[in-house]
This record gives sequence, structure tokens and C-alpha cells, in this order.
Amino acid sequence: MNTATKLVSLAALATSIAVATAGCGASPEAPVATTAPPNSVELRMTVWTSNEDQLALFDTIAEEYKADHPEIKSITFESLPFPDYNTTLTTQIAGGNSPDLAWMGDLSRDLIASDALVPLTDRLTETKGWDYDDLLGSVTSEFTADDELYAYPFSNSPFALYVNESLLAAAGQSLDTSDLTWDQVSAVGSAVNAATGKGGFVIRDFNYSSWNTLATVWTGWGASAWNKDGTKCTFDSDEMVDAFQFLHDAIYVDASMPGPGTTADFFAGDSAFTIAQVSRAALLDGSFEYDVYPLPDGPEGEYSVLGQAGVGVLESSAHVQEATDFLAFLTNPENAAKLAQFFPPPRKSLLTGEKLAENNTKLTADQLEAVVIDQLPDAVTLPNHTSPAEISQKAKTALDAMWTPDADVKAVLSSVCTAIDPLLAT
Amino acid sequence: MTTTHSTTRGASTDAPRGAATDVAPPSYPKRRPGRFWTMARRDALTGYLFITPQLVGVLVFVLIPVGLAIYYSLNDWNIFTGELSFVGGENYAALLDDPQLPTVLGATAIFSGGVVMLNIALGLALAVMLNRRFRGVTLFRTMFFSPVVVSVVAWTLVWGFLLQDNGGINGLLAQFGVVGPNWLQEGPTAMTAVVITQVIRSVGINMVLFLSALQGVPGELYEAARIDGARNSTMFTRITLPLISPTLLLTAIITIVGALQAFAQIAVLTEGGPGLSTTVLVYYVFQQAFEFNHIGYGSTLALMLLTFVMLLTVLQWQLRRKWVFYED
Amino acid sequence: MKTDTAPPTIDVVRQPSGSAELPAGAGVTPRRVPRSGAAIARRIILYVALVVLAVPFVVPTIWMIASSFKPLSEIFASPPTIFTDSPTWAAYGEAFAFQPFAQQYFNSVYIAVLVTAITMLVSSLAGYAFARIRFPGQNLLFLVVLIGLLVPGEVTIVPLFQMFKQVGLINTHWPLILVTALAAPCVLATFVMRQFFIALPGELEEAARLDGLGRVGIWWRICLPLAKPALSAVAILTFLASWNLYLEPTVYITSPELFTLPQALTRYTDAYGGEMWNTQLAAATMTVVPVLVVFLIAQKQFVEGLAHSGLKG
Repeated sequence: MNTATKLVSLAALATSIAVATAGCGASPEAPVATTAPPNSVELRMTVWTSNEDQLALFDTIAEEYKADHPEIKSITFESLPFPDYNTTLTTQIAGGNSPDLAWMGDLSRDLIASDALVPLTDRLTETKGWDYDDLLGSVTSEFTADDELYAYPFSNSPFALYVNESLLAAAGQSLDTSDLTWDQVSAVGSAVNAATGKGGFVIRDFNYSSWNTLATVWTGWGASAWNKDGTKCTFDSDEMVDAFQFLHDAIYVDASMPGPGTTADFFAGDSAFTIAQVSRAALLDGSFEYDVYPLPDGPEGEYSVLGQAGVGVLESSAHVQEATDFLAFLTNPENAAKLAQFFPPPRKSLLTGEKLAENNTKLTADQLEAVVIDQLPDAVTLPNHTSPAEISQKAKTALDAMWTPDADVKAVLSSVCTAIDPLLAT
Repeated sequence: MTTTHSTTRGASTDAPRGAATDVAPPSYPKRRPGRFWTMARRDALTGYLFITPQLVGVLVFVLIPVGLAIYYSLNDWNIFTGELSFVGGENYAALLDDPQLPTVLGATAIFSGGVVMLNIALGLALAVMLNRRFRGVTLFRTMFFSPVVVSVVAWTLVWGFLLQDNGGINGLLAQFGVVGPNWLQEGPTAMTAVVITQVIRSVGINMVLFLSALQGVPGELYEAARIDGARNSTMFTRITLPLISPTLLLTAIITIVGALQAFAQIAVLTEGGPGLSTTVLVYYVFQQAFEFNHIGYGSTLALMLLTFVMLLTVLQWQLRRKWVFYED
Repeated sequence: MKTDTAPPTIDVVRQPSGSAELPAGAGVTPRRVPRSGAAIARRIILYVALVVLAVPFVVPTIWMIASSFKPLSEIFASPPTIFTDSPTWAAYGEAFAFQPFAQQYFNSVYIAVLVTAITMLVSSLAGYAFARIRFPGQNLLFLVVLIGLLVPGEVTIVPLFQMFKQVGLINTHWPLILVTALAAPCVLATFVMRQFFIALPGELEEAARLDGLGRVGIWWRICLPLAKPALSAVAILTFLASWNLYLEPTVYITSPELFTLPQALTRYTDAYGGEMWNTQLAAATMTVVPVLVVFLIAQKQFVEGLAHSGLKG
């Protein structure tokens, strides 16, 4: 009976939504003036890493900052799952539960375009000892609009070619590293597949869905997803057709790339090569001999591709002032050096093989010099545009037709343009 | 219970009229209702109170949202800035211009139709097979029902493994020298896979519902028919089916509603692909509203879905008179 | 509609037996007990058919449990194996290390239990009223309630999201509890309860009324105890509906410690979105096995309870 009454009253809760507010909603923080009273500011930063060491580093930096800033009550780092980081962040913003700072990948263009980010250039330039000119130009461009920086590119991880030397040896193959080309990678991959049944080369995270990772291949053919100002699709260019023809042949003719629906994890020893970011070296567990090289040459020669992540302050934060100040602290030369053990930094002063190798147990200074330092200045980023989710889905839908043995490569690529051109134009 | 009961009475005095006489409700003699409060009226009031939680639930969590959805469908919404701008019928016009929509509707029809037909046919077949006594019948019932209690996501994840090109199913086929298709990468097989995994997962409920209905059919009917020389198939179509037709209607409704809401299966197994071949309307609405942030258009699509369901139900309601037995 | 239940039965008896089949089949009729040879053959066919049919129902679950003990490299071994030679518990540890899995487990359980309790109460009240009490507008109101069953969740999810956002309940469990307990699954429950109560003989109530019981008393003391099968059916359906909820948590909940199990299962990915297959399988096993065990123990009540409920349309 007692429970029943309780349940009745619980059900009655629903009758008036307003009553339900008394539930467990997060109370909105009061807006603060420039000089916030002590212990009044709670900052929250969304990140997609769940790596304990990385989170611990962030916590240490936050503790240091708090020691000098009495107004800060707490700084929390909220790990959101990577696969739907964008959706979750957007939902938080739309739901009025916006974080103060956020990591961002391909959502940055949307955030910048809708004025959701706080401009940083003036603030960082004015900060003593921050040394704005130390930033590498090639890595800031993705987060810059009208000469204004909106997010600090804390991670700039070039894509590299990982090689499973043990598997190559088992298949009686070896790599001529003086002339590392895609054709050679495909040929060796094909031979490994024939000899061992394992996969040839795998574009990590592509999974026949995230096509933007294929930029690590098509850039070598001189192709790009769209033109420089992002208004016109260039999937139907001749270079792109050649690049996709190469991939198609690799899957269906040479069997050097595992086809759709086949799971082959390089880091579990399932494939001879993988194209992945340098930061993925953390996944190497020592179960096989490996090496790492810059991306193989394409018909257009050498090239390098970069995966980036930035951190910015959201306009919808209740503490824009304090959040921006913390961002400046988090990214100052001293802390940037600490972050560099996990994320290749955007600062010229930190970009030497020795410095990066100090905290990297998987790769040597020479390897890092070759695959990071030498690549960064000229690297292109993965395709980035406003409305990333929609462009991604529309292009993926069209591109699915590519992954059958008798696909018409040129026609499929034209259909990609038909699908995404309307989105690019807006 | 008494507490609730007297509250009921108290509330009744505030209702329609009678405020003039009932100054002190608690002390008012319980067994002497005023002239207005006849037995029937008090009973009716209790009825209203009994249905209130359910009615309010439907009002707040179904009807008001539907009204809001109509409002959203007339607006465009910038999710980052929270700006809402009236666009009139633009989202409705966009329905006609959406090149993906016909494919999505086709996929929805194939998926729902496939699931409903297979689910009911298989559910009925299983029920008939298991509606008798033999050794192990409970074990079989348990086995066929067990996927129902497995979480949809876990179930779908496992099938995702099994349906990989180098996964369990093709591995099994290979043992027999058959080269299986690349299930989730080709439109027709992907749709087949999604439909079948959905049916296997949920048919247990229908099986049990049909079992219950079959056990409600009096055995004497079959005896009588048998004496009259009716064949098994005749008995099935002439006795069983008419008698369980109310259950058929119920399961049809439950299954259709379930099929139209099958989101997890699609999201985990195929993400709507390859191409748009398994993008059913639910998944499309989710994409538009929550991934592309087109809340206005997403609402418009959702309302279209609602219209379909309503039409379908009205149709069933009409047909019901023809084939559901208890309607007489 | 109430009183219609009995007469049709009689109709049916007449209809099929009086049909044209009678003369044709008449000769074969007496063979009511078939010869044992044929019976055995038929039984064997039945068993074989059932076993073959059962494979896709049972094997995935077994494979899932078995694979959760495999090292990662063995999960996709070709040809596929069911059992591994080198079982490991590692993935189970990871499942808890990677996410607040125990908390997520608790979330799912308490939400499902709460939702089930609310639904049983609300639906039995409403079902009873719609079945046994006469009040003006009854049919119209019942129709209004039934709309709740027909409106697909995706129609209402966006507005509901905005409504819950208005009252600050995003990223809380309230939406998952309230909507499930009072909207669609509850409407189905109300429908089931109504069908059950309609079939109850009226004399019971008359007797109770003479004993001085009010409506609430009749509902609580007389009808609910009788409705145990229907209530258990409602409980099972509602519990599963809540337990399996996926779209709603995906939309409403963003903090991992508030996740429910279906949502949590898809989050076993490394920092870069790569899927941690064996961990996913271990977590999935942990979500499935306890429910399966409960089911196996209580399967008689489970299946028979559903079967003997009022779920006859």
C-alpha cells in the first residue's frame, strides 16, 4: 500500500512537468562577472580520450592552475565516447548543457560558422610568454577563419605506414624502403595475402564507411575531395578516378586490401600494413616486429596527410573569460611540452625527434623525425567542411556502390559529387 | 487503500459542482451522497480518476509532443545558436525534393512487411508445433523464446560478427563447400539479414501469444470436426484461424509497431547501408534530426510516418470487421 | 463487446463441421490413434525440424558467451571456432576498467524495475476502469489512449527532448522512466489489462459490492489478485521494453555514468573509435546471462504466465 501510494505520486509527477524539475537536473550556473568570487567557477571540458594517463596529465595541469586561481572551484574533463562525440557534444550544446571547453575534430567548421566558438588570437597573443609566433602555420589553418584562431590544434598526428615485419618475413617478402610506393605496398600486400591468408594493407578506421580517411591515399594521386574553398566537389576528377581505381584493383584484382565486411586488425597481427596516425603506435603490443615509415609515394610523388584535433572555448559557456584563461594556461609552452608526449604539438620549438621520443616508448627519435617532424610543414589535413555528418553520410551512401567487383569507378565518383555538391554550395 | 479512497471522495467534491453544500468534505457522511452524487455518477468519477494517470501520460508524452512536432515542422532550427525561424511549408516541400526519401520509404516498406509477415507466420508455425505434449517441449519453448530476453544491442552485435564476410555464418557455409555472400555489404542480402535477425529476436513473443490463443481453443471443437471427417488443414483454416483471429490482430499491431521502431538493429548492424538499402524511416529521422541537426525536417519526416501508421491502422480497423472473429 | 465472448464459440462449432468437407472425409475419420510407426516417424520429423529451427535462436548466444573468453586474435579465426583452447578472463576485467560498467548495470536494473512497477499500477487502474466501469466518453477516451500505442517513438522524441530540456531533465534518467512508464509500453499494458478484466465474470464484483467494498477495494482486493497472469505478462513486456531501450538513452543521456546497458555496450571502443571486440562480447555476456538464468529458472511462469494471461486480443 505504501509503495503503491508512492508510485501514484510518482506517476503524478508526470502530470506536471514543472514538478519534475525538482528531480535531478543540473542547475544552471549563475553568470559571473570578469572577476569571479573565489570558488565560484566550475569548468568542464569535453574530450574523447579515455586513456588514464592522458586524463591524469590534464588533471595535473588543472590542479596547477587552480592553485593560482582561487575563483576556480573545479575543472573536470568529461570523456565522451569517440564514435558519437559530435552528436553528443551537439546534443549537449542544444540541450543548454554546453561544456566550457571542448576538443573538436571535424565539427570545428560548423562551430566556427555558427559563431559558437570564442576567438582566441588576441587573447593568446596578449598572454605573456605564450609565444604565439611559435605556432606552425600549416597546422593552424584548419581552425582559423578570417585570420582569427578559434581552436588550439593540440594534436597534429601525421598518417604513417606501419609494417608488420614478422608477417612479411613469414611470407618471404621484404620491402625496398628506398623507393616506397603504393604500387610496391600493394604488390607485397598481395603476396602476403597469397602466402598467409592475412590481409595486405588496411586503411585504419576506414571500414568502408569513413571515406575521409582515404585522403591518406588519394592525396598521393594529387586528388582532393573538394576545391580549396570547399564550394565544389572534385571527386569526379581524373586524379580521384585513378586513386579509386588503384583501391578497387587492390581489393578485387590483387587482393592486397581486405574487402568490405572483412575485419582485419593490423595491431592484432591480421595484416601486413596499415595506414594510421602516428599516435596509434600506442596500440602496438609487441606481439610482432614492426616498423613505421612516411606514407608511400603515389604517382604524384611524396606527400603527407595529417589528422588534427583542436581545443576551443564555447561561446555558450557561462565562464567564457575564465575558460579562455585556462585554455591559455593549458597550451602555454611549458604545458604544451607536457602534452607533446601524447599529442604531436603545433609548436616549432617542440618539434624535434629527440623531444618527441622522450616520452614515446614505441617509436625511436629517427622514426619520429621521419614520420612527424619532416611531414608536418607540408601536410594536408583530412577533408573538413561544415555539416560534416551530412556530407559524410551522403557521400558514403553514394560510395557504397564502389565496393563491388564490377563497379564503374568513374560513374560512382560522379554520383558522389551529385550527392554532395548541393551541400557544399550552401 | 482507504487513504486513496477518501482522497477520491474529497476530490469528487471539488469536481463539477456541489461546492455550495460540501463545506467540510472530511466530515461529510460517507454513505449519504447528495442528490447529484448518484451511485452511477460516483462510479463514473472513480472511472475518470482511475484512467487519469494513463490519460495524462498519453497527453503529456504523446499528444503534446505530436503537436510540438507539427510546430517544429514549420520551422527551421539552428541547433548551435538555438534560433528558430518560421519557414512555413518549406520542410513539406523538401519531402518532395528529397532524392533519398523514395528509397528510404521503399526500404521501410520492405523491412516492415518482411518482418511482420515472417514474424507472424513463423510465430504461428512454432506455436502450432509446440502446442502439444511431448518430451522436451518446454526446452524448445525456452529456446525459441530466449532471444527475446537478450538485449537488442547485444543480439545485434553478435549477429554483426556472424554476418561478417569472414564471420561465423560464412565459415559454417564454407564447411559445406558453399561460398556465402558478403551479407551486410550487398543491398538485398543486407536487408534479408536485418529482417531475419529482427524476426529471430522477437518471434518468441508472438509464439507465446499464439500458444495462449491456441490453448484457448476448446479441444471438443477439434474432436467434433474430426468426427465429421475434417482434415488437419481444414481444421486449421476453419477452426483455429477464426478463433485466434483476435490474437492475430493484436500480434499484427504489436509487430508492426515494433518493426517501425527497429532502430538499434539498423544502427548497429548496417548503419543504414550499403547505400540506403537498409535505411528505414526511423533511422533516417534520427540521422536528420540528431546527426545532421535538421530538427524541422526530421519532425516533418516523423509526422509523415505517423500519417502512414494512422492510415494503416484505420485500414486494419476496417478490415478487422471482415476477418476478426469476435466482431461478429 | 463484453458479452460477445461466449456466443461465437457456438457459431464456430457449427460453421466448420457443417461444411462441405463432411462426406469426403467421412471414411477416414475413425483413425484417431495413428499407428505407432507413423507416429514415431512424425515425432522424429518434428524433433529434427525443431532442432534445426532452434539453431539460429540459440547458437548466437552460445557463441557470444564462448567468444568472450577468447583472445582477440581468435574471435575472427577462420574456420570459426566455438570454444577456445586458451580461455581468458581479461576482457571481463577490461569491461569494468573501461567504463563504469557496474554503475551502468545498476542504472538499467533500477530503471527497468521502477518502470515496470509504475506501469503495472497505472495500466491495471486504467485497464480496470475501461473494462468494468461505465462513464461518459469511455470509448472516446479509450481511443485517445490507444493513439499512444500508434504514435511511433521517433515522432515524439524530438519534441520530448525539447520538453525535457526546458525543465532541465536532459542527461538524467527521468525521461527514460517517465516516457516508458506512461507512454507507449504502458498503453499496450493498459490494453492487455482491459482485455483481461473484460473477461472476468461480473458476479465476483457484485458479491464484493454487497460486502461493502468500493471500487478501489474491488480493484485491489478482488481483481488484481485474479489478474496475476495478465500482470506478469505486463511486467515481462514492460521490463523488456525498458531493458532494451536504445534510441532514447542515446538521445537523452550523455554521461557514461548515467548510461544504460544497451547504450554502454556500443561504447567499447578505443580512444580512436576502434572497436574492442572481446570486451564488447564480455560486456554483452554479462548483460545477457543473468537475465537468461532468471528466465531459465522462472521459465514456466514466464511462458505459461504469458500464455494464461488475457493476451487473447
